Amino acid sequence: MMDQNFVGIDSGSTMCKTVLFRGNQVLDTLMSKTGWNPRLSAKQDSDLLLERHRLSRENIVFATTGYGRETIDFSDHVFTEIICHAFGGMHLVPGIQGIIDIGGQDSKVIKIINQKVADFLMNDKCAAGTGRFLSMACDKLGIELESIDEFVNLDEYSQINSMCAVFAESEIIGLLSLETDRSKIMAGVLQSIAQRIRQMIEKLGFSKELPLLMTGGLSRSQALMEAISVATGFNVITHRYAPFAGAIGACVCAHGRERQSP
Amino acid sequence: MKENQLPKNFESFADARKQGFLHIKALKDAGKNVVGTFCTYTPAEVIMATGAVCVGICSFSDETIPEAERVLPRNLCPLIKSSYGFALTEKCPYMYFSDLLVGETTCDGKKKMYELLGELKDTHVLQLPQTQTDEVSKEMWYKEVLRLKDRLEEKFGVVITDEDIKAAIKLKNEERIVLKELYELSKACPPPISGAEQLKVLYGSQFKFDYNVKLHELRDTVAKIKQDYEKGERPVSESAKRILITGCPLAGATEKVVTAIEESGGVVVAYENCIGAKTVERLVDENEEPYKAIADRYLQIGCSVMTPDTKRYELLTRLIDEFQVDGVVEMTLQACHTYAVETQSIRRLVQDRDVPFISVETDYSAADSAQLKNRLAAFIEMMA
Repeated sequence: MMDQNFVGIDSGSTMCKTVLFRGNQVLDTLMSKTGWNPRLSAKQDSDLLLERHRLSRENIVFATTGYGRETIDFSDHVFTEIICHAFGGMHLVPGIQGIIDIGGQDSKVIKIINQKVADFLMNDKCAAGTGRFLSMACDKLGIELESIDEFVNLDEYSQINSMCAVFAESEIIGLLSLETDRSKIMAGVLQSIAQRIRQMIEKLGFSKELPLLMTGGLSRSQALMEAISVATGFNVITHRYAPFAGAIGACVCAHGRERQSP
Repeated sequence: MKENQLPKNFESFADARKQGFLHIKALKDAGKNVVGTFCTYTPAEVIMATGAVCVGICSFSDETIPEAERVLPRNLCPLIKSSYGFALTEKCPYMYFSDLLVGETTCDGKKKMYELLGELKDTHVLQLPQTQTDEVSKEMWYKEVLRLKDRLEEKFGVVITDEDIKAAIKLKNEERIVLKELYELSKACPPPISGAEQLKVLYGSQFKFDYNVKLHELRDTVAKIKQDYEKGERPVSESAKRILITGCPLAGATEKVVTAIEESGGVVVAYENCIGAKTVERLVDENEEPYKAIADRYLQIGCSVMTPDTKRYELLTRLIDEFQVDGVVEMTLQACHTYAVETQSIRRLVQDRDVPFISVETDYSAADSAQLKNRLAAFIEMMA
C-alpha cells in the first residue's frame, strides 16, 4: 500500500488542481484553468502529470473532489471539498484546528477536533466573500488577480459597505468616479472578504492561541491573509502546497478508504 | 343549493390536478363542506365534528410564486407566497373548493397574508398565544377554540353535539396512533423504509378524506412493512447515517433536502417538522371536557413562533435518543425569521449532546440543488 500511486484532482469552479501522491507524500502538482469541460481538464492534467513521471494510468487510484467531481468518469473515489480540505490541511499542518478556504464560488471555514471534521460553515448563497467577488473587483480596477499583493496597501482603505457583490461593484464604480486611489479600493475589497470570513470563524469558535490554515489558490495572497489575520485576531498561516489541499485531501481520504476495504 | 363549478382554466390542468378537482367536486356535490387549514395548531376535531372535510392547504410548489409576488414582497417565505398564489390562481383544488379557510396568528408573514387572503376567500383567523404554559395563554386559546366552534356552526348551520366532538376526538386520536406506529418503524436499525417513503405516507395521509378507508390503508401499510422486514428485507443499508430533520414545514419542492441526504449515504429516520412527529405525538385526552382537552393538546405543539420554544427542544431531544440519530439537519425556508433565529439555540442543544448539526436555508426553487447536495454530502462524510 505504501508504494501505491494516487492522483488527486480538485476540479474547482475556476481552477483544476491535480497532485501525484505516494507513500503519504506529494510528489508533484499541476494547476490549470478548469474551463468549460471539467472532465476534459481533469483528464488532460492527470495525463500530463503521469507522463512527467513515466507512469501509465493503470494501477493508479484516482480520487476527485470539487464542483466538477461528479463529471469525472475515471474516479475511483469521490469526496466533497469539505472533507478533502480538512484532511489535506491536516496532512500539511498536523494538528491544525481549522481551515479557511476561499474558493471560486464559495468560501468555507472548517473546524477540526481530534483529527475529524467537527463542524463547517459555507457561504454558497452569494458571491460576497468568494473568489468571484475578488476577480470581479480586479476586473473593474484593471488589476491582475496574481498581482494584488504588489498593488495593495492595507493601511489605507476605502470602506466597501455593500454585502452584495453586485452592489459592491456599483460601489467600486462610484469610488472610481471620485478618483479614489485603486490601491485603497482593493484594500477595501480585501477587508470586506475578511469580514465575511470573520463571521464564519466566530460562529464556529476556535482557540485564539492556535493558528488557522488558509488553503485554496488565494492563500498565495499575503495581503488577503493579513487582512483576515487583522480582522479575526487569528494567526492565519499557509503552506506552499495549500492551493492543492483539496487534491491532497482526496488522496489522503482515498488512501484511508482503500485500507478499510482493500 | 348553488352548483359547484370548476375553475375557468380547468381544461389547461394536467390530469393529476384535474382528478384532484373532480374528486373534491364530487365530495361537494354530495353535500360535504370543505375547510382548508394551514398550521398544525388548527384543531381538526372541531372541523370534523361539523361533518366537514378538513384539509391542509399549505403549499409546497414554486408554481404560483410569480403570481403571488405581484402582491406580496419578494423577500418573503416561499410557503406563504405559494399558498397565497394558489388562492389567487385557483390552481389548488382544496383551496378552490374550500368553504372556509382557517389560519392562526403564527408567524408575522402568515398573519398579514391572511388579511389579503380574506379578500379572496372566507377566512377565519384564530388568535394563537405566543407562550404555552401560562394561565392567560391557556384560557385565551380555549376561548379561541370555542370561537372556532361558533363560527363553524354558524357557517354551516349545524350544531356540534357532545357526541359529535367526542367521536371526532376518538377518530383523530386513532389516526395519530397509527401514524406514530408508522414512523416509529424507523427506530429499527436499519430502518425498514427510506425517509422519502415515510414522508410520502405522512404527507399523503392528509389528502384521504374517508377516515375509515384511511385508517384501514395506514394499518395495512404498517403491517406490510413489518412483514417484509421480518422476512428479512432490508431496503436501507445498515451503514446509512441516521438523520433527523427539523425546522420549517417540509414537503413538495423541499423534498430536495431528503433526496440530497439519501443520495449521499444517509437515511432520514425522523421528521420533527409540521408533517411529522410534532403534529402527531400528543393525543387529545378523551376523559376531559372535549374543548378543554383539545385546547390543551394543540397549545403544546412546539414551533419557533412560541417563546420560549421548550416543547420543540423536548421533542427533539427525545427523538434523537429514541431514533438513535447520527446527525440533525435543520431546514429553514428563506425569510423565516423565527426559525432562522432559533437555529442558534437548536445548534447548541444538539451539539451539546455530541450530535453533529447542520442548518441549511432554502426556498422552493431548484436553483440550489447542487449546493445542497454538496453541503449535505459533506455533513454525512463528516460522520464517517
